Amino acid sequence: MSLVTTPVGLDSAPPPGAPAESGTSTSARPPAETGRSRSALVLRLVGAVALVGVVATVWLGLWVTPPDQFMGNLVRLLYLHPSIAWVMYVAYGVAFLSSLLYLWPRTRSLRWDKLAGASSEVGVVFTGLTLVTGSIWGRPTWGAWWTWDPLLTTTALLFVLYLGYLAVRRIPGDSEVRARRSAIAALIAFVDVPICYFSVLWWRSLHQAPSVDDPVNGKTYIHGSMAWTLLLSFVSFTLVYVWLLVHRYRLFGLAEREEGEGLALAIEERRAESQVPSR
Amino acid sequence: MNGYVESGYVVGLGTLAAYAVTLVARERGARRRLTPTEDSRVDSPEDGPAPAAPVSDEPGSPAAASS
Repeated sequence: MSLVTTPVGLDSAPPPGAPAESGTSTSARPPAETGRSRSALVLRLVGAVALVGVVATVWLGLWVTPPDQFMGNLVRLLYLHPSIAWVMYVAYGVAFLSSLLYLWPRTRSLRWDKLAGASSEVGVVFTGLTLVTGSIWGRPTWGAWWTWDPLLTTTALLFVLYLGYLAVRRIPGDSEVRARRSAIAALIAFVDVPICYFSVLWWRSLHQAPSVDDPVNGKTYIHGSMAWTLLLSFVSFTLVYVWLLVHRYRLFGLAEREEGEGLALAIEERRAESQVPSR
Repeated sequence: MNGYVESGYVVGLGTLAAYAVTLVARERGARRRLTPTEDSRVDSPEDGPAPAAPVSDEPGSPAAASS
Protein backbone atom coordinates (compact mmCIF):
# COMPACT_ATOMS: atom_id res chain seq x y z
CA MET A 1 0.00 0.00 0.00
CA SER A 2 1.47 3.32 -0.99
CA LEU A 3 1.51 5.94 1.72
CA VAL A 4 3.05 8.64 -0.40
CA THR A 5 0.72 11.60 -0.31
CA THR A 6 0.73 14.55 -2.63
CA PRO A 7 -1.02 17.90 -2.66
CA VAL A 8 -4.33 17.49 -4.38
CA GLY A 9 -5.81 19.64 -7.12
CA LEU A 10 -2.75 21.75 -7.92
CA ASP A 11 -1.57 20.03 -11.09
CA SER A 12 -4.24 21.14 -13.48
CA ALA A 13 -1.77 21.97 -16.22
CA PRO A 14 -2.24 19.80 -19.29
CA PRO A 15 0.79 17.86 -20.49
CA PRO A 16 2.72 19.42 -23.37
CA GLY A 17 1.13 18.66 -26.69
CA ALA A 18 -2.21 17.79 -25.15
CA PRO A 19 -5.21 19.01 -27.10
CA ALA A 20 -6.62 22.34 -26.09
CA GLU A 21 -9.57 22.12 -23.76
CA SER A 22 -11.79 24.38 -25.77
CA GLY A 23 -13.97 22.55 -28.22
CA THR A 24 -13.71 19.19 -26.48
CA SER A 25 -16.91 17.76 -25.11
CA THR A 26 -16.80 16.84 -21.45
CA SER A 27 -18.29 13.42 -22.02
CA ALA A 28 -15.51 12.47 -24.44
CA ARG A 29 -12.73 13.52 -22.08
CA PRO A 30 -10.71 11.02 -20.11
CA PRO A 31 -11.27 11.21 -16.33
CA ALA A 32 -7.88 12.89 -15.68
CA GLU A 33 -8.67 15.67 -18.11
CA THR A 34 -12.13 16.18 -16.63
CA GLY A 35 -10.52 16.46 -13.18
CA ARG A 36 -8.05 19.01 -14.51
CA SER A 37 -10.74 21.18 -16.07
CA ARG A 38 -12.78 20.96 -12.87
CA SER A 39 -9.85 22.15 -10.75
CA ALA A 40 -9.20 24.92 -13.30
CA LEU A 41 -12.81 26.00 -12.93
CA VAL A 42 -12.51 26.00 -9.14
CA LEU A 43 -9.36 28.11 -9.39
CA ARG A 44 -11.09 30.61 -11.68
CA LEU A 45 -13.92 30.78 -9.18
CA VAL A 46 -11.46 31.37 -6.33
CA GLY A 47 -9.79 34.12 -8.37
CA ALA A 48 -13.11 35.79 -9.19
CA VAL A 49 -14.38 35.63 -5.59
CA ALA A 50 -11.02 36.96 -4.31
CA LEU A 51 -11.16 39.86 -6.76
CA VAL A 52 -14.73 40.75 -5.83
CA GLY A 53 -13.84 40.45 -2.13
CA VAL A 54 -10.83 42.75 -2.44
CA VAL A 55 -12.82 45.33 -4.42
CA ALA A 56 -15.60 45.19 -1.81
CA THR A 57 -13.03 45.55 0.99
CA VAL A 58 -11.56 48.65 -0.67
CA TRP A 59 -15.01 50.15 -1.20
CA LEU A 60 -16.16 49.45 2.36
CA GLY A 61 -12.80 50.36 3.88
CA LEU A 62 -12.37 53.66 2.09
CA TRP A 63 -15.92 54.97 1.69
CA VAL A 64 -18.47 53.15 3.82
CA THR A 65 -16.96 52.52 7.26
CA PRO A 66 -16.77 55.42 9.72
CA PRO A 67 -13.50 56.93 10.94
CA ASP A 68 -12.16 55.66 14.25
CA GLN A 69 -12.60 57.85 17.35
CA PHE A 70 -8.85 57.77 18.08
CA MET A 71 -7.14 57.09 14.75
CA GLY A 72 -9.52 58.96 12.49
CA ASN A 73 -9.19 58.00 8.83
CA LEU A 74 -5.94 56.13 9.46
CA VAL A 75 -8.02 53.22 10.69
CA ARG A 76 -8.80 52.51 7.03
CA LEU A 77 -5.29 51.15 6.61
CA LEU A 78 -6.16 48.51 9.16
CA TYR A 79 -8.54 46.85 6.70
CA LEU A 80 -5.43 46.06 4.69
CA HIS A 81 -2.40 45.65 6.97
CA PRO A 82 -3.58 42.98 9.47
CA SER A 83 -5.05 40.74 6.76
CA ILE A 84 -1.83 40.93 4.75
CA ALA A 85 0.10 40.02 7.91
CA TRP A 86 -2.32 37.15 8.53
CA VAL A 87 -1.66 35.75 5.04
CA MET A 88 2.07 36.01 5.73
CA TYR A 89 1.65 33.69 8.74
CA VAL A 90 -0.58 31.32 6.77
CA ALA A 91 1.95 31.15 3.92
CA TYR A 92 4.84 30.32 6.23
CA GLY A 93 2.66 27.81 8.09
CA VAL A 94 1.90 26.02 4.82
CA ALA A 95 5.61 26.08 3.89
CA PHE A 96 6.49 24.64 7.29
CA LEU A 97 3.95 21.82 7.08
CA SER A 98 4.91 21.00 3.48
CA SER A 99 8.57 20.86 4.43
CA LEU A 100 7.77 18.55 7.35
CA LEU A 101 5.77 16.30 5.04
CA TYR A 102 8.66 16.24 2.60
CA LEU A 103 11.15 15.30 5.30
CA TRP A 104 8.94 12.58 6.77
CA PRO A 105 9.90 9.46 4.78
CA ARG A 106 6.34 8.10 4.52
CA THR A 107 5.00 11.22 2.83
CA ARG A 108 8.10 12.25 0.91
CA SER A 109 7.26 13.71 -2.47
CA LEU A 110 8.82 16.52 -4.49
CA ARG A 111 5.35 18.05 -4.72
CA TRP A 112 5.58 19.01 -1.05
CA ASP A 113 8.88 20.68 -1.80
CA LYS A 114 7.33 22.66 -4.66
CA LEU A 115 4.39 23.62 -2.44
CA ALA A 116 6.77 24.84 0.27
CA GLY A 117 8.73 26.88 -2.29
CA ALA A 118 5.59 28.39 -3.79
CA SER A 119 4.09 29.26 -0.41
CA SER A 120 7.34 30.81 0.82
CA GLU A 121 7.66 33.02 -2.24
CA VAL A 122 4.09 34.27 -1.84
CA GLY A 123 4.82 34.68 1.88
CA VAL A 124 7.84 36.86 1.13
CA VAL A 125 5.69 39.14 -1.05
CA PHE A 126 3.15 39.45 1.77
CA THR A 127 5.90 40.03 4.36
CA GLY A 128 7.29 42.89 2.27
CA LEU A 129 3.80 44.34 2.05
CA THR A 130 3.26 43.90 5.80
CA LEU A 131 6.40 45.92 6.46
CA VAL A 132 5.56 48.63 3.92
CA THR A 133 1.88 49.07 4.86
CA GLY A 134 2.81 48.97 8.56
CA SER A 135 5.42 51.62 7.96
CA ILE A 136 2.93 53.83 6.12
CA TRP A 137 0.54 53.48 9.06
CA GLY A 138 3.32 54.00 11.62
CA ARG A 139 4.60 57.30 10.23
CA PRO A 140 1.51 59.39 11.11
CA THR A 141 0.65 57.27 14.18
CA TRP A 142 4.04 56.90 15.88
CA GLY A 143 5.86 59.70 14.07
CA ALA A 144 8.45 57.37 12.54
CA TRP A 145 8.64 55.20 9.42
CA TRP A 146 10.58 52.59 11.31
CA THR A 147 11.37 51.72 14.90
CA TRP A 148 13.26 48.76 16.34
CA ASP A 149 10.16 47.45 18.03
CA PRO A 150 10.19 43.67 18.73
CA LEU A 151 7.37 42.93 16.26
CA LEU A 152 8.81 45.06 13.48
CA THR A 153 12.29 43.66 14.01
CA THR A 154 11.19 40.03 14.05
CA THR A 155 9.04 40.65 10.95
CA ALA A 156 12.03 42.16 9.14
CA LEU A 157 14.06 39.15 10.26
CA LEU A 158 11.33 36.88 8.87
CA PHE A 159 11.61 38.66 5.53
CA VAL A 160 15.38 38.16 5.42
CA LEU A 161 15.17 34.53 6.59
CA TYR A 162 12.72 33.56 3.86
CA LEU A 163 14.67 35.48 1.23
CA GLY A 164 17.56 33.29 2.35
CA TYR A 165 15.34 30.24 2.02
CA LEU A 166 14.46 31.24 -1.57
CA ALA A 167 18.19 31.70 -2.26
CA VAL A 168 18.89 28.22 -0.88
CA ARG A 169 16.29 26.82 -3.26
CA ARG A 170 18.24 28.25 -6.19
CA ILE A 171 21.50 26.51 -5.32
CA PRO A 172 22.01 23.99 -8.12
CA GLY A 173 22.07 20.31 -7.32
CA ASP A 174 20.19 17.05 -7.46
CA SER A 175 16.47 17.68 -6.95
CA GLU A 176 16.24 15.39 -3.91
CA VAL A 177 19.27 16.93 -2.23
CA ARG A 178 18.02 20.42 -3.02
CA ALA A 179 14.57 19.61 -1.66
CA ARG A 180 15.98 18.19 1.58
CA ARG A 181 18.26 21.17 2.03
CA SER A 182 15.38 23.59 1.38
CA ALA A 183 13.03 21.75 3.74
CA ILE A 184 15.56 22.00 6.57
CA ALA A 185 16.06 25.71 5.80
CA ALA A 186 12.27 26.23 5.91
CA LEU A 187 12.04 24.57 9.33
CA ILE A 188 14.85 26.78 10.66
CA ALA A 189 13.27 29.94 9.24
CA PHE A 190 9.88 29.05 10.75
CA VAL A 191 11.32 29.32 14.28
CA ASP A 192 10.94 33.10 13.93
CA VAL A 193 7.21 32.92 13.13
CA PRO A 194 5.89 32.25 16.68
CA ILE A 195 8.47 34.67 18.09
CA CYS A 196 7.16 37.31 15.71
CA TYR A 197 3.51 36.60 16.50
CA PHE A 198 3.88 36.55 20.28
CA SER A 199 6.48 39.32 20.51
CA VAL A 200 3.76 41.90 21.30
CA LEU A 201 2.76 39.81 24.33
CA TRP A 202 6.22 38.73 25.47
CA TRP A 203 7.99 42.09 25.34
CA ARG A 204 7.10 45.71 25.88
CA SER A 205 6.15 46.81 22.40
CA LEU A 206 5.14 49.99 20.65
CA HIS A 207 2.96 47.90 18.38
CA GLN A 208 -0.44 47.17 19.82
CA ALA A 209 -1.30 43.66 21.03
CA PRO A 210 -4.15 41.75 19.31
CA SER A 211 -7.00 44.19 19.83
CA VAL A 212 -9.99 42.99 17.81
CA ASP A 213 -11.30 40.81 20.58
CA ASP A 214 -10.38 39.59 24.02
CA PRO A 215 -11.31 35.92 24.29
CA VAL A 216 -10.26 35.76 27.95
CA ASN A 217 -12.79 38.39 29.02
CA GLY A 218 -15.24 37.64 26.22
CA LYS A 219 -15.11 41.17 24.83
CA THR A 220 -15.06 42.41 21.25
CA TYR A 221 -13.58 45.82 20.58
CA ILE A 222 -14.72 46.28 17.01
CA HIS A 223 -18.30 46.43 15.85
CA GLY A 224 -20.69 46.83 12.96
CA SER A 225 -19.45 47.70 9.51
CA MET A 226 -15.85 47.92 10.73
CA ALA A 227 -15.91 44.33 12.00
CA TRP A 228 -17.53 42.99 8.82
CA THR A 229 -15.09 44.84 6.60
CA LEU A 230 -12.16 43.47 8.55
CA LEU A 231 -13.57 39.94 8.32
CA LEU A 232 -14.16 40.32 4.57
CA SER A 233 -10.61 41.56 4.19
CA PHE A 234 -9.20 38.49 5.96
CA VAL A 235 -11.26 36.11 3.78
CA SER A 236 -10.48 37.95 0.53
CA PHE A 237 -6.74 38.11 1.06
CA THR A 238 -6.68 34.46 2.07
CA LEU A 239 -8.34 33.63 -1.26
CA VAL A 240 -5.83 35.85 -3.07
CA TYR A 241 -3.11 33.81 -1.36
CA VAL A 242 -4.67 30.53 -2.52
CA TRP A 243 -4.90 31.80 -6.10
CA LEU A 244 -1.30 33.03 -6.13
CA LEU A 245 -0.08 29.83 -4.46
CA VAL A 246 -1.62 27.56 -7.09
CA HIS A 247 -0.20 29.65 -9.94
CA ARG A 248 3.27 29.71 -8.40
CA TYR A 249 3.10 25.98 -7.75
CA ARG A 250 2.21 25.32 -11.39
CA LEU A 251 5.08 27.51 -12.52
CA PHE A 252 7.45 25.29 -10.55
CA GLY A 253 6.01 22.26 -12.36
CA LEU A 254 6.34 23.89 -15.78
CA ALA A 255 9.93 24.96 -15.09
CA GLU A 256 10.75 21.43 -14.00
CA ARG A 257 9.23 20.05 -17.20
CA GLU A 258 11.13 22.56 -19.30
CA GLU A 259 14.34 21.55 -17.57
CA GLY A 260 13.56 17.88 -18.25
CA GLU A 261 12.77 18.50 -21.91
CA GLY A 262 15.93 20.55 -22.35
CA LEU A 263 17.97 17.73 -20.87
CA ALA A 264 16.27 15.12 -23.08
CA LEU A 265 16.92 17.28 -26.15
CA ALA A 266 20.58 17.70 -25.24
CA ILE A 267 20.97 13.92 -24.80
CA GLU A 268 19.26 13.35 -28.15
CA GLU A 269 21.61 15.83 -29.88
CA ARG A 270 24.66 14.19 -28.34
CA ARG A 271 23.43 10.79 -29.49
CA ALA A 272 22.84 12.09 -33.01
CA GLU A 273 26.32 13.62 -33.05
CA SER A 274 27.90 10.33 -32.02
CA GLN A 275 26.05 8.47 -34.80
CA VAL A 276 27.43 10.73 -37.58
CA PRO A 277 30.16 8.70 -39.36
CA SER A 278 33.52 10.34 -38.99
CA ARG A 279 35.41 11.09 -42.25
CA MET B 1 -9.06 61.66 2.74
CA ASN B 2 -5.49 61.01 3.92
CA GLY B 3 -2.39 60.69 1.75
CA TYR B 4 -1.06 57.84 3.89
CA VAL B 5 -4.21 55.79 3.50
CA GLU B 6 -4.30 56.10 -0.28
CA SER B 7 -0.62 55.33 -0.65
CA GLY B 8 -1.01 52.26 1.56
CA TYR B 9 -3.78 50.91 -0.63
CA VAL B 10 -1.97 51.76 -3.87
CA VAL B 11 1.28 50.11 -2.75
CA GLY B 12 -0.44 47.05 -1.28
CA LEU B 13 -2.89 46.29 -4.05
CA GLY B 14 -0.56 47.47 -6.82
CA THR B 15 2.20 45.11 -5.71
CA LEU B 16 -0.17 42.17 -5.46
CA ALA B 17 -1.62 42.91 -8.90
CA ALA B 18 1.86 43.20 -10.43
CA TYR B 19 2.92 39.92 -8.83
CA ALA B 20 -0.24 38.16 -10.06
CA VAL B 21 0.25 39.44 -13.62
CA THR B 22 3.91 38.37 -13.56
CA LEU B 23 2.98 34.87 -12.43
CA VAL B 24 0.34 34.47 -15.13
CA ALA B 25 2.67 35.84 -17.83
CA ARG B 26 5.48 33.52 -16.78
CA GLU B 27 3.08 30.58 -16.70
CA ARG B 28 1.81 31.37 -20.20
CA GLY B 29 5.36 31.79 -21.50
CA ALA B 30 6.42 28.45 -20.06
CA ARG B 31 3.33 26.74 -21.46
CA ARG B 32 3.97 28.25 -24.89
CA ARG B 33 7.55 27.02 -24.87
CA LEU B 34 6.45 23.52 -23.93
CA THR B 35 3.55 23.15 -26.34
CA PRO B 36 4.41 22.51 -30.02
CA THR B 37 3.04 25.60 -31.72
CA GLU B 38 2.40 26.90 -35.18
CA ASP B 39 5.84 28.52 -35.36
CA SER B 40 7.72 25.30 -34.77
CA ARG B 41 5.73 23.51 -37.47
CA VAL B 42 6.13 26.23 -40.09
CA ASP B 43 9.87 25.64 -39.91
CA SER B 44 9.55 22.33 -41.77
CA PRO B 45 8.97 23.16 -45.47
CA GLU B 46 7.07 19.99 -46.39
CA ASP B 47 4.30 20.76 -43.93
CA GLY B 48 3.40 24.00 -45.63
CA PRO B 49 1.58 26.71 -43.76
CA ALA B 50 0.19 25.20 -40.62
CA PRO B 51 -3.39 25.88 -39.59
CA ALA B 52 -3.79 28.27 -36.72
CA ALA B 53 -3.49 26.15 -33.61
CA PRO B 54 -5.93 27.06 -30.88
CA VAL B 55 -4.07 28.79 -28.09
CA SER B 56 -4.78 26.81 -24.99
CA ASP B 57 -6.82 28.72 -22.51
CA GLU B 58 -4.77 29.09 -19.34
CA PRO B 59 -6.65 27.43 -16.53
CA GLY B 60 -7.31 29.78 -13.71
CA SER B 61 -5.82 32.88 -15.28
CA PRO B 62 -7.61 36.16 -14.62
CA ALA B 63 -7.99 36.72 -18.35
CA ALA B 64 -9.70 33.39 -18.66
CA ALA B 65 -11.80 34.12 -15.63
CA SER B 66 -12.95 37.42 -17.02
CA SER B 67 -13.74 36.04 -20.46
